Amino acid sequence: MTKSIIVFLIAFAFWGCEAEEPVKEDVPELITKVTLTFTPVGGGTDVLVTATDPDGEGVENIKVDGAINLAAGTNYRLSLTLINELAEMSSPEYDITDEVEDEGAEHLFFYGWTSNVFSNPTGDGNIDNRADEVNYEDMDEGGLPLGLATSWTAGVASSGTFRLILKHQPQLKTATSDVNTGETDLDITFEININ
Amino acid sequence: MFLLSFGFAFGQNRCANIFSGRILDESGEPLIGAAIVLDPTGKGVVADLNGNFTLSGICSDLYHVTVQFLGYQEQVFEVRINANVNKTITLVPDVETLKEVVVSEKVEHLETSQNYAVLSGEKLAETAGKSLGESLQEISGVNTIQSGPGIFKPVIHGVHSQRVLILNHGIRQEGQQWGAEHAPEIDPFIASNIVVVKDASSIKYGTDALGGVVIVNPAELPQSPGLGGTLNLVGQSNGRLGTISGLLEGGIKNREGWGWRLQGTGKRAGDYHTPDYFLTNTGIKELNFSTSMGYHDETKGFEVFVSHFRTDIGILKGIAISNLDDLVAAMEREPPQSTNDFFSYNIDEPRQHVSHNLVKVSGHKETDHGDWRVQYGFQNNNRREYDIRKGDLSGVPSIDLKLNTHTLEAEWETPHHPANSLCVGFNGMHQNNVNIYGTQRIPFIPNYVNFSGGVFGVAKFIRKDWVFDLGGRYDYRFYNAKGYDFKNALYDESFSFENVSLTAGASTQLDPNRSLAFNLSTSWRPPHVAELYSLGTHQSAAAIEYGLLLNDTTNEVMDINDVSFQIERALKAVGTYKRQWRNFQFELSGFTNYIFNYIYLRPTGITQNLRGTYPYFRYTQTDALFVGADFTAVWNLTRRIKVSPQVSLLRASDVTNHDVLTYIPSNKYEVAVRFEEPNQFALKKFFVESKIKYVAKQQNAPRVITPRQIQEGAEQGIDVFAGNDQIFDFMPAPDAYALVYLSTGFSIDRKKIRYDIRLAAENLLNTEYREYTNRLKYYADDIGRNFTVSLKCVF
Repeated sequence: MTKSIIVFLIAFAFWGCEAEEPVKEDVPELITKVTLTFTPVGGGTDVLVTATDPDGEGVENIKVDGAINLAAGTNYRLSLTLINELAEMSSPEYDITDEVEDEGAEHLFFYGWTSNVFSNPTGDGNIDNRADEVNYEDMDEGGLPLGLATSWTAGVASSGTFRLILKHQPQLKTATSDVNTGETDLDITFEININ
Repeated sequence: MFLLSFGFAFGQNRCANIFSGRILDESGEPLIGAAIVLDPTGKGVVADLNGNFTLSGICSDLYHVTVQFLGYQEQVFEVRINANVNKTITLVPDVETLKEVVVSEKVEHLETSQNYAVLSGEKLAETAGKSLGESLQEISGVNTIQSGPGIFKPVIHGVHSQRVLILNHGIRQEGQQWGAEHAPEIDPFIASNIVVVKDASSIKYGTDALGGVVIVNPAELPQSPGLGGTLNLVGQSNGRLGTISGLLEGGIKNREGWGWRLQGTGKRAGDYHTPDYFLTNTGIKELNFSTSMGYHDETKGFEVFVSHFRTDIGILKGIAISNLDDLVAAMEREPPQSTNDFFSYNIDEPRQHVSHNLVKVSGHKETDHGDWRVQYGFQNNNRREYDIRKGDLSGVPSIDLKLNTHTLEAEWETPHHPANSLCVGFNGMHQNNVNIYGTQRIPFIPNYVNFSGGVFGVAKFIRKDWVFDLGGRYDYRFYNAKGYDFKNALYDESFSFENVSLTAGASTQLDPNRSLAFNLSTSWRPPHVAELYSLGTHQSAAAIEYGLLLNDTTNEVMDINDVSFQIERALKAVGTYKRQWRNFQFELSGFTNYIFNYIYLRPTGITQNLRGTYPYFRYTQTDALFVGADFTAVWNLTRRIKVSPQVSLLRASDVTNHDVLTYIPSNKYEVAVRFEEPNQFALKKFFVESKIKYVAKQQNAPRVITPRQIQEGAEQGIDVFAGNDQIFDFMPAPDAYALVYLSTGFSIDRKKIRYDIRLAAENLLNTEYREYTNRLKYYADDIGRNFTVSLKCVF
């Protein structure tokens, strides 16, 4: 019996004290950078704003690189780019925009803003009420709006906030599913100035 | 002979003599469950399925034997034991003076002052079909932390997870205990009894038992030829649950001493139901089997045990939430999102898939120089957690962990002396935790190796009328952890801990009707890797958790020497007083448990990422105090009617911060009235029982900060946590509730087969309620009325 104990003790020592080397995971769900590009429909310079979250799950808050400055009365087309900067630039996980587009039937962008900063759409957006007006320029395969592309006409000179929310609504997305349906993938608020 | 002894697989005092035999009725039928007690040792056992009993380790002396069985006349006689004695005892029915068996479970214990409770026989049979954690709730002082109807984590005197040790067949259960939604991976059908030790004195089993120990004991293996078995069938209306569990065992012809056993359980449940709506996606699928084989004779024994446990558990769909806004919506909505108006057995994301394998080899030998016991165990635990994720990722687990654990234990005990005994031994453990690649998430906990060892000594001695026990142990633990931080950058750290645990106990039988026991113990536990390195969110918690080693501001993983970490240590005192009269007996115990450097998740603030706002929790240390009392009693109102009240009181506080603690079970009161008619026509052991359980509101719940307040604060740029770091909860503690239970049952004997039939109703009045310690309380009501039908065949 004593012998068997010794044998076991030796075996224990052989199992070693080093943890197995973990393999680095790709993290496709992490969005660390969101870029809003407002392109003037009649031509002109794009207006770009970016929100970044350099530490992902860390305690640091997100950073927004400035306000959205639009020209009064101008018609813009807004397109969104969602990036995971933790992935390699060549990796398919880098640009999450495509993934959201491919799974359009499960995703929906909601927009909310201070009343009157836009002349079209009017109102304050569909975050508080899904039925409110937002000019979606794209659709999922089921014909429901998605919101990676939208159009906006700036109102008269004013300022306020502009908020976008991306909801993940697997099997929940309908013509009436609202901001409380599903899980939140993005929720960012920007300052907006109409000059 | 296979014996339903209450003894531990380890740690019995033995003299050389064995007192064995059978307990039968006049017609020669075995009296299963008849109790036999040998005084003055107080040792007792219950006759097994064949009426057999064995009391080993009996010193040569003259003894008083008391044999009791419900509905039969008590038999008392004297026996002189100088060598092995085998005796057949026949009991005569006692219709006139039906007396309750008051030989309430006498358990053989090394540490006699331990405060313990046993779930066995009828009580255990009543929990058939329930999970281990849920079954344990029957014991006063034991509660659970629940994550819906399928996940129960035992809580002893207010502490849980890493602070409760579970021994399965004598082996420390090693799974991913750190998560509140991680239940023990044990099939309760393998147990012939479950012992809960409610103090910290179980020094032989290692560190961590700050709150207590749950010991799952199997029946002993058969030693002589013959075939026996049990079949359990359980059906439940709520969740439309079906359970089938079978056991077959026997000896081997011409191989005296050899025995084997095969056992298996299958379980399937679908969506549970509250009084008003389905809890969509709360199904369970479970498949377990075990087998053992061994040889035993009077001085030596050897046994191999192999078991496999596998479960799939669905988690309420409506808790699939991401940020604070989602939580606001989920809490203000009833029924929860995604609730179906139909029943389904489907288990969808979010869900867990857990498997646990155990191989145990053990042996013991009694020599003139002492008794030797050795056991080796290998455990393989796999846990996968699936969340609702983008597209194809839903089929990919967000947590995928494999944990392999080797344990080796050996102990030596002095050859038995009636007055004194000494037991010394060591335990070793090697553990390897690996994150299986492919989750496409930064792992919540790192890969690690845990290498631990300990030595212990326990002494027991008798002075006058008092039995004293003293014990001490030293433990060492080494960790190497390798993981990825928030930037997905690798870290690799090694460190170790060492410390001692001590226990002292004393007990005495003041007179035949009164006994007293005290225990004072101090034990420690090394921190779990999850408490040091946790990063991120897990299974729909809508909160981010950070380990102790993550820097407050930069989030970088720090060296353990650079943080103010201190070992968690408990100082627990328990006192128990037992008293019995002719028709009434009670047990009262009081405890205080002071835990220094208690590690817990403390709400620290709110953080913002691109998905929105989250509250975040940091593992922090404080001094915590748990004070409480347990009371149980049996009052034999008439010969056939008994009333059993049970009370559990608990108060927990954060001493350092003059604050409360979270998820502390509230006070619980229950009273059961039972009518028994042991022999009516062909029906045996007929009973009707009604129980009312009242669970008080937790009056010492944390202050409330609703998600809406946090959210509105965040919108206005106010951190609602600033300037007040008191602990908080998202909602007030739910109101008190009372549940009514009703059950009836009887046994029939037909052609050497015994059938136990039982019908029960839980939450008979279909009361709507929410339990404070159920993590689903934020989203949905608890389950409504449930009917259970169970059939047990013993042959």
